[in-house]
Amino acid sequence: MCRSRIDRIAEVFLGAAAILAGGIVLLIVGFLFYGASPVLQSGEFPLLFTDREWQPTSDREPQFGIVPMLVGSVLVTVLAGSIAVPLGVAGAVFHQFYLPSLFKKWNRRALELLAGVPSVVFGFWGLMVLVPAINRMHPPGQSLLAAGLVLGLMILPMVALTSQVALDSVPREHLQAAAGLGIGRASTILRIALPCARPGIGAGAVLAIARAVGETMAVVMVCGNIANLPGSIFDPIRPITSTIVLEMGYATESHKALLYTAGLILVLVIAALAGWLAFHRNPEAVAK
Amino acid sequence: MAGISQKPGGGGEMTETPSKSAMLSASGFSRKRRFADLATGIVTGSAFLLTLGVLAWIVWDLVRMGLPQISGEFLTGDVKEAGRSGGIGPVLASTFLVLLCCMAAAVPLGLGCAIWLSEFVRKDSRWGRLVRAGVDLLAAVPSIVFGLFGMAFFCQVLGMGFSILAGGLTLACMILPILVRTALSALNALPDHLRLSSAALGMTRTAMLKKVLIPAALPGILVGVTLGVARALAETAALVFTSGYSTRWPSGLGDSGRALSVHIYDLAMNIPNGSARASASALVLLLLILAISYLASILTDRWLQKQTGTK
Amino acid sequence: MSAKLRITDLSVSYGDFAAVRDVSLEVLEGQITALVGPSGCGKSSFLHSLNRLTDMIPGCRVTGEVKLPDGTDLCGPYLDVLSLRKKVGMVFQKPNPFPHSIRKNFEIPLREHGISKREVPEIMERNLREVGLWGEVSDRLHKSALNLSGGQQQRLCIARALALEPEIILFDEPCSALDPLASGVVEDHIAALREKVTVVIVTHNLAQARRIADRVAVFWLQDGVGTIVEVGKAKDLFASPAHPDAALYLSGMRG
Repeated sequence: MCRSRIDRIAEVFLGAAAILAGGIVLLIVGFLFYGASPVLQSGEFPLLFTDREWQPTSDREPQFGIVPMLVGSVLVTVLAGSIAVPLGVAGAVFHQFYLPSLFKKWNRRALELLAGVPSVVFGFWGLMVLVPAINRMHPPGQSLLAAGLVLGLMILPMVALTSQVALDSVPREHLQAAAGLGIGRASTILRIALPCARPGIGAGAVLAIARAVGETMAVVMVCGNIANLPGSIFDPIRPITSTIVLEMGYATESHKALLYTAGLILVLVIAALAGWLAFHRNPEAVAK
Repeated sequence: MAGISQKPGGGGEMTETPSKSAMLSASGFSRKRRFADLATGIVTGSAFLLTLGVLAWIVWDLVRMGLPQISGEFLTGDVKEAGRSGGIGPVLASTFLVLLCCMAAAVPLGLGCAIWLSEFVRKDSRWGRLVRAGVDLLAAVPSIVFGLFGMAFFCQVLGMGFSILAGGLTLACMILPILVRTALSALNALPDHLRLSSAALGMTRTAMLKKVLIPAALPGILVGVTLGVARALAETAALVFTSGYSTRWPSGLGDSGRALSVHIYDLAMNIPNGSARASASALVLLLLILAISYLASILTDRWLQKQTGTK
Repeated sequence: MSAKLRITDLSVSYGDFAAVRDVSLEVLEGQITALVGPSGCGKSSFLHSLNRLTDMIPGCRVTGEVKLPDGTDLCGPYLDVLSLRKKVGMVFQKPNPFPHSIRKNFEIPLREHGISKREVPEIMERNLREVGLWGEVSDRLHKSALNLSGGQQQRLCIARALALEPEIILFDEPCSALDPLASGVVEDHIAALREKVTVVIVTHNLAQARRIADRVAVFWLQDGVGTIVEVGKAKDLFASPAHPDAALYLSGMRG
């Protein structure tokens, strides 16, 4: 019977590993709440949305308004998405329906490599190349536009790859049926392949956008980091993630709690996106 | 009889010129279709070229800016003048140690979790679903939040301070979902007859795992490990407040040490005239990651070949 | 009875693998021609080459001639393949409606071939009646075609192919993925197409070929390559096959 005891022990250890792995996310959310608790308990939380400005360290009249930064996060994400999604999807259509199969493997591999380029490297490139270029067009250069472009380029390979997978998994029968009915390539793409692949393409786009919302490094280096509502795409902005990484180094007590609160809000936004996605994919399972 | 093995693409149904025959002559509609096909091709083709072009431009810029700075001395030398001159030797050493801590923690945990999910619980069991959901949610947490968590938990609550160990453990949490997912899909892809035949031979589950299942799933697991290493190497935000900024040679895991990505960030943002060395560091980081990702994609190909080969 | 398709020395190969060699066959207008024979002897490859679906397979080569009465060569290089596929329709083994509404399943191909949106409902109704589906689906035309049963889906696919008013319809084992009851219904509707269009049908089911075919061509492997070993009127062929392999096969002793 000793052999089955080995199995029992293994099961306990593996189960413990699994519970730990699954529980880390709870630990993280717990620590965010714990870190944010001074703000949540003191009743300062509503100030985050009513205060006009972000002056958390001011001695006389601290201001805790994170709305400009939320708006910054949203704007930069929208800009990045509107660059990456059309380009990525159209590129994937070309890959799937026009590119000779000889090049397909290489394109896929190139995109896979590019998807792995570190965000800090994208940010650095933006700072060195893109920001000066935008500065020549319209100073100061560090701007919503720069951040959106860098972020958009960063998630572009991801969108392209997930769209390729989605288009690739369109059932062969549908394409065969289209061919058998004499339907041309353009109509096959627009009326059959894209509608069939839409859930997969949409899921990939939402995941990439969730990644963009949470991205820090690619943005902090090029966005200008001024916590004001931008008047145009050439104005600097300051998304939530940048605020955290810039201020955490010197933040103390209540300021720190504010940053944890900002992190908590970020997680909630992304969880909402992920939940929305899960619901759209499989409404019944979520309803249970 | 072979079926249609591939989607239309390059096959060129539309490449034929119009028929001269009476019956199948090119009608107006067919000309319209040819135009639609061409237009779609041009629109999507330019998106395709733009994507690859811009991304190639980025890589080219990084090579152009960084390559002249790279030398053996740069790779091994001390960091001088806060990074404006000298090399990145200690930074590479710290990076390596952070990765080591990260993988040492994440691989057993991730593999254990995947094995438990695939071999010990039913797919629809409550605990299995909860663990899976937890791992999926973990994948959606942004890296800066891992940084916040790592700082509060590892550095402060567990008293590790700004250290390589704290940074590595923070990264371990971050890459855990990648490891679990790839290992899980590798295990799930194994044919059931392996399990049935091992069980029929009276093997314990532990022995079955050790001797049969894990070796068979190893290529897939390795793909996950390489992807995890690449992701960890690329990460900056989670490390800024956990493994610290020190540029000395690390003497142990309790030391603070800056990772390569943090070095790039610091040089570019905080050090005037740091951008030359930052370019070189960025190129080094890029090359490391490309090498690892390339390895991962080769492993994936091998694995797929093996899978389809045995079928 | 005139020949609708005159096929001369047709060969199909995939890379180095020859699937069909030197097949010659006359398909007579308004008749149902059944292609029978064991699996893997090139029937489907042959059928697919008749409306150039073989174009979609990389490395697939088709040689020979497939002539329409006006002299057009379907294998020729200067051919509008999409218009060809309107003239020569295809129904596949597995029902393959588009994952859209029933209405869209007609609208997409009809609009592609230049028929205006206004005409779609009428054409749809006529062809759905043709396959006996109108009564079953007329109240859910905007619902997904994937909700239909397998047999209904296959009849929808036939109606969809008919809607383009093809002169020839190719059936690739249209009943083999269906249950016996649905299979019988589909078979009846194929039989009803006689005289209206020319039908070429690949089938594994000899009883089915005997029931509906006017003419039968027997495919067999010779030196590992598929070819036609015997062609004739269905009645004659089933009564007294000349080729020894075909005789054993048709009597159910082999294959």
